[in-house]
Amino acid sequence: MELTANAFGRNARKALLDKTLQEALGRTTGRFLAHRDAAAAAFPEFEATRERASRIKRDVLDHLDTYLARFIEEAEKRGTIVHVARDAGQAREIAARIARDEGVTLAVKSKSMAAEEVSLNEALEGAGVTVVESDLGEFIIQLAGEAPSHIIAPAVHKTREQVSRLFERHLGEPRTDSIPELVGMARRHLRAKFLSAGMGVSGGNFLVADTGSVVLVTNEGNGRMGTALPRVHLAVVGIEKVIPRMADLPTFLRLLPRSASGQTISSYVSIVTGTRRAGDPEGPERMHILLLDCGRSAILEGKYREILKCIRCAACLNTCPVYQSVGGHAYGWVYSGPIGAVLTPLLVGLPEAAALPDASTLCGACADVCPVKIPLPDFLLELRSDARDQGLKTPGEIAAMKGYAGVMKRAGLLEAIERIGGVLGQFFTKGKGIGGLPYPFSGWTERRDFPAPAAQPFRKLWKIRRGVTR
Amino acid sequence: MNEREALFRRLAAACGSHGAAAGEPPPGEAPPATEGDRVARFAEAFSAAGGFLLRGPVEAILSDLGEMLRAEGVTALFFPEDDAAAREFAMALVPFGPFTLTTGTEVRGGGAAVTAGFRTAEAAIAETGTIVETSAGGKTLLPGMIADVHVSILSAASVVARMEEALAAFGADPPRNISFLSGPSKTGDIEQTLTVGAHGPKKAIALLLPPERTE
Ligand code: SF4
Repeated sequence: MELTANAFGRNARKALLDKTLQEALGRTTGRFLAHRDAAAAAFPEFEATRERASRIKRDVLDHLDTYLARFIEEAEKRGTIVHVARDAGQAREIAARIARDEGVTLAVKSKSMAAEEVSLNEALEGAGVTVVESDLGEFIIQLAGEAPSHIIAPAVHKTREQVSRLFERHLGEPRTDSIPELVGMARRHLRAKFLSAGMGVSGGNFLVADTGSVVLVTNEGNGRMGTALPRVHLAVVGIEKVIPRMADLPTFLRLLPRSASGQTISSYVSIVTGTRRAGDPEGPERMHILLLDCGRSAILEGKYREILKCIRCAACLNTCPVYQSVGGHAYGWVYSGPIGAVLTPLLVGLPEAAALPDASTLCGACADVCPVKIPLPDFLLELRSDARDQGLKTPGEIAAMKGYAGVMKRAGLLEAIERIGGVLGQFFTKGKGIGGLPYPFSGWTERRDFPAPAAQPFRKLWKIRRGVTR
Repeated sequence: MNEREALFRRLAAACGSHGAAAGEPPPGEAPPATEGDRVARFAEAFSAAGGFLLRGPVEAILSDLGEMLRAEGVTALFFPEDDAAAREFAMALVPFGPFTLTTGTEVRGGGAAVTAGFRTAEAAIAETGTIVETSAGGKTLLPGMIADVHVSILSAASVVARMEEALAAFGADPPRNISFLSGPSKTGDIEQTLTVGAHGPKKAIALLLPPERTE
């Protein structure tokens, strides 16, 4: 997928002017968030479960070599062919080779961020395979030739009218504004693909080390059909998705759907282990797992290791005021929202995505909802200082920050500036904020507006309130 | 050095575990409440997930089920060859509607009929309202996968309290396919409007066998 993370400012501006997107975002993130909060509140063990999940994941990261080796051993014991890719190019090569060796011409794919990360579809298509996305949202954006804009709701930016138009053009279906009819059209079309595809491609929400199983969590049932009906199953999964034991799975299954959509459990959880056994009427004859490093072992080595605990629930997206305003495309790569703002720079290199850690107000909401307790705001802050150390900030921005720090350390100076600011502020104010300030403050306003100063500084109001007069 | 060895070398360096034993399962999770009637809790969670539970005398179940299937436009019923309870229910249901019997293979091959797939569930989970179906012993998953309506046959004795118990039943060697089914196939992908029947069944029905039939 094309990387435009450093164009966040331009991408965001475009998103803010897109009326359809704005409506969809408001509707979606608000609803997911409300459901998530209700589900967490209705589950008294939620906090204890978060703590446990976080500890299990930390143990996994401390011993990833051990657990991954166990996973591979158990998977191979059950007939699974395990491949390892160091980077995206290698992953594409391996996938293309698998498709060619297996003689596959049609593949049904269920949603996978990992596959998106390495542009797997391109590789398969290069090997002569037609890849059909089977998740309804992914199917819609595949027809539209676009990229997903939300981890669990990839077509959140499309209206039913746009969907109907796509189905008319690509599937020859009549126009309708009934959503159930649209879902029925996709169901019919995709059913035929499931029944004739030679290969099912999936991601994996969890890899179970002690049994060599891949776990898929879906609501539509596409993951299940794609891994049970075709002759070959290829699962593309990041190495950090390992959990130690099958007995740990319930802990994560209690968190993922609740955090994602507020469901107690998703409609389907499929636990697939190895190839079909003798006498099994379904299940693939051949099962491949493609494990992706693609930068993960490097992350494991450094101070951002805990980002690898992520279970891709998207709760941090839904709760993030920046994501709520600009949506997923603005982040310019596969991952968006707070997780994207941290993970993308780590996976593609900070110079390629230095704009993303700034795409946050550091309000802390993401850390509050993260089911595995990743300190996202700390990481965002740390990445900003890395960006500065690596010379990725403009001199103006650095000067502005230095000036700001200098002022904040001197109470008297701050007070004086507040007083002058209250008066001068109005000259620079456009609408709600201050746009182009003169140097060195332009370093701040290059990419963001500064809020207009209040006529009365907070500290004065506070003194008045406490009855201190001077 | 091949790619796999190279990966493990990188991981060993990054983890710093130096072969130290991996951790024990951490304590600290209070398991969800398990007191109370398991079947009652299953019924509540299953309907919260969008499923329909039918219970009571078999005659009453059959007439209610017939009505539900007719309302969904079902005309063909199928069941696994080796599933006696599913066969019995499907055959007993034929007089309750314009239903014919078909097979999973035929349904898989395509065809325009609206179908109901019958299957005996291996277990059910009270905590989440989940039906558990697996491929253990060469069983088919088609009724819960490609039918328009899925009818699970469930004995009260097979309802477990939590996911832990359901998974523990497989021990160290799980079958190829374990499916947790909780309500109908759902999607919210168009305008966040919850719609059933994206790929799997539009309706999930469970028949709870009366105690005298559970052995
Ligand atoms: S960082 Fe946390 S909240 Fe965000 S997607 Fe990952 S697990 Fe969910």
